[in-house]
Amino acid sequence: MPGELRLMTGYDALVEGAITAGCRFFAGYPITPSTEIAERMSNRLPKVGGIFIQMEDELASIIAIIGASWGGLKAMTATSGPGFSLMQEGLGFAVITETPIVLVDVMRGGPSTGLVTLPSQGDVMQARWGSHGDYAIIALAPWSSQEMFDLAIKAFNLAEIYRNPVIILSDEVVAHIREPIKIPPPDEIEIVERRKPSVPPTEFIPYLPEPGEWVSPMPVFGEGYNLLVESVMHDEFGHRIGMGQPIAERKIKRIYYKIEKNVEKIAMYEERGLDDADVAIVTYGSSARTSLRAMKDARNLGIKVGMLRLITLWPFYDKLIEELSNKVKSIVVPEMNMGKIVREVERASKGQCKVFSIPKVGGVLHNPDEILSAVKLAAR
Amino acid sequence: MSAARVKQIVVSDKLCKACYLCIWACPWGVLEIKEERNWRGIKKPYAARIEQCRACKLCELYCPDFAIQVIVDEEEERKILEVEEIYEKKWLDRLKKRDEIISRGVWWL
Amino acid sequence: MIQEENFEHILAKKYMRTELLPHAFCSGCGIGIIERMILMAFEELGEEEWKRTVFVSGIGCSGWTPLYFRSDVAHTLHGRALPFAIGLKLAKPELNVVVVMGDGDSMAIGGNHLIHAARRNIGLTAIIVTNMVYSLTGGQMAPTTPEGAITQTTPYGNIEPSFDLIELMKAAGATYLARWTTYHIIQAKNSIKKAIKHKGFSVIEIVSQCPTFMGRYVLNKSDPRDIMQWFKENSIPISIASTKSPEELKGKIVVGEFLHKPEVMEYTERLKLLKERVGRR
Repeated sequence: MPGELRLMTGYDALVEGAITAGCRFFAGYPITPSTEIAERMSNRLPKVGGIFIQMEDELASIIAIIGASWGGLKAMTATSGPGFSLMQEGLGFAVITETPIVLVDVMRGGPSTGLVTLPSQGDVMQARWGSHGDYAIIALAPWSSQEMFDLAIKAFNLAEIYRNPVIILSDEVVAHIREPIKIPPPDEIEIVERRKPSVPPTEFIPYLPEPGEWVSPMPVFGEGYNLLVESVMHDEFGHRIGMGQPIAERKIKRIYYKIEKNVEKIAMYEERGLDDADVAIVTYGSSARTSLRAMKDARNLGIKVGMLRLITLWPFYDKLIEELSNKVKSIVVPEMNMGKIVREVERASKGQCKVFSIPKVGGVLHNPDEILSAVKLAAR
Repeated sequence: MSAARVKQIVVSDKLCKACYLCIWACPWGVLEIKEERNWRGIKKPYAARIEQCRACKLCELYCPDFAIQVIVDEEEERKILEVEEIYEKKWLDRLKKRDEIISRGVWWL
Repeated sequence: MIQEENFEHILAKKYMRTELLPHAFCSGCGIGIIERMILMAFEELGEEEWKRTVFVSGIGCSGWTPLYFRSDVAHTLHGRALPFAIGLKLAKPELNVVVVMGDGDSMAIGGNHLIHAARRNIGLTAIIVTNMVYSLTGGQMAPTTPEGAITQTTPYGNIEPSFDLIELMKAAGATYLARWTTYHIIQAKNSIKKAIKHKGFSVIEIVSQCPTFMGRYVLNKSDPRDIMQWFKENSIPISIASTKSPEELKGKIVVGEFLHKPEVMEYTERLKLLKERVGRR
């Protein structure tokens, strides 16, 4: 019943969010710890008139959802570290053809088969730079079951607005945790549908948007628009080009800038206690849950600590970190990897304050005391 | 089957790539290779003995480039022009529109 | 009199993107003949079928085949044409989906997807263009290269045995199988028509000539006319091939329709039954 509280795991909340947003196609492959997403989707989708198919591997899964997206359905897949590495080729294909899809990566300990059932945050850089060539991507990092629901809807909306794949970077803890979530009534949820072209097929140019817009409307197969969905570098109609530096430059810069220059519109973050802070904790995902406890302990000891929780990891909001580094003496970045987002924070802070990294590998969350001692060190 | 009177055997300058599969396919020896090269630099086949043609259209079947067609009478010629009008011409306008927009410069560069 | 300068055949004017012609294939390449077979099949099936048809292709010389058609076309990654076609067919089951792939594209990197698409008996028409080498990258060995052939990556002769696609597809569960060469244009066109009407997974393998690489390296014939003559003399229909021993069939191409099973249920029909069953609960 919308409006009341329900006790759900992160998986269930993600699936309910996706179905609320209109997702009607799921193609996946079982991999711990994201198998429950596929299982619940196989249960729910036939009941709402959607399609579930378990493909033979992850390579087929991501290409199948791109095909379904060009057939008019909102499509999604879910995987973990090893499967994410396999999907990079398909991600590049979705980027160059400007196909909206949603990919859920439930991060687990790596590298390779790694720590199968234990959490980590080790794929955050691979989400941005994993595929070959120049491209831009949107990546969201939820920290609770409620956010798994909200960000699932937000991910589908962003994918349709920017015609780009969107990655949801959960980790094993956030996915398995069981928390009460509140599902708002349908008229309070914003869902963005695909834009359809307004001109007839003989006048429509598929990859040339109107002045001032970044993407053109997306017709689907079978409507008579004679589309050319092409993975080779192509011009505005989808025809392949032989030698064409100006044509290729137009296309690459447009699909790069449509995300990178719209950071202000896309970025989401949450600030706590940063008004009078000397030390700021910049964090995301499950590390933010531990950092909250460390922040409260530090405040009790009299250290002025604040927390900036990044909800969109990519595109990285440089200006936000630059302004923060002007206000505080030092920044502390706890992460469940060997130090990845801390590099972006260092780069964006431009040396205006000290930046400390608190890496934690091995498949466990930080202990709040570890973050507290780092904060004490940073406050000196 | 006695020799039919065909009106014309058209071999396209734009499309022919001089593979001569049409000459191999023809059972009546109608086609021969031309002496001079055309503006694309190839020696096109042409109908040297058109009175031998029986309009079996095997040369058309084996051409990989859609370059040759046997036109039997006015009816077929009229059909070609009709198809050009209905199916082909209307798709060529958007090419010009794109060139025009690009020459003025795109807004994101 | 029609002018010869910018002439195109009437089928090209009706169904192809004439702004992209002349197409990029080599002189005498069999892929142009395969395009003609497909267009002749649709000319006979009618305009309604053409409007409902979309094409999906892989990467390779054969992957450029449907790009010249004026219809919805997807040119996907190497070996991944079939998953794209599966996603598209499930999203819109009323479309005719025709998948054009090469031999290396479908049997080497895409082998896994081929056997699972056949197992599911999903309603696609797969046209596999076999030219015994990887031609777009310059003539390397493929799974269908005959033993002993010299290619760019087997300069001392090929030591690997080659695939028989029809036996593989029979075991995997495909329900319409045929093999022709580019010499058998009318028969292949009839097979394509039958495969489009057939509801399950159909595979048509067309052995095509590549004068630039397969002709020069594997067969020692660089003229497309000689290769066509070789196809004519070395292809044997099934009814005669069944009376011959395997030694006599070495180096020959067995052509014909191998299998037609219209009674096996297709995947989207099974999905529809599932939805009805679940919806009633």
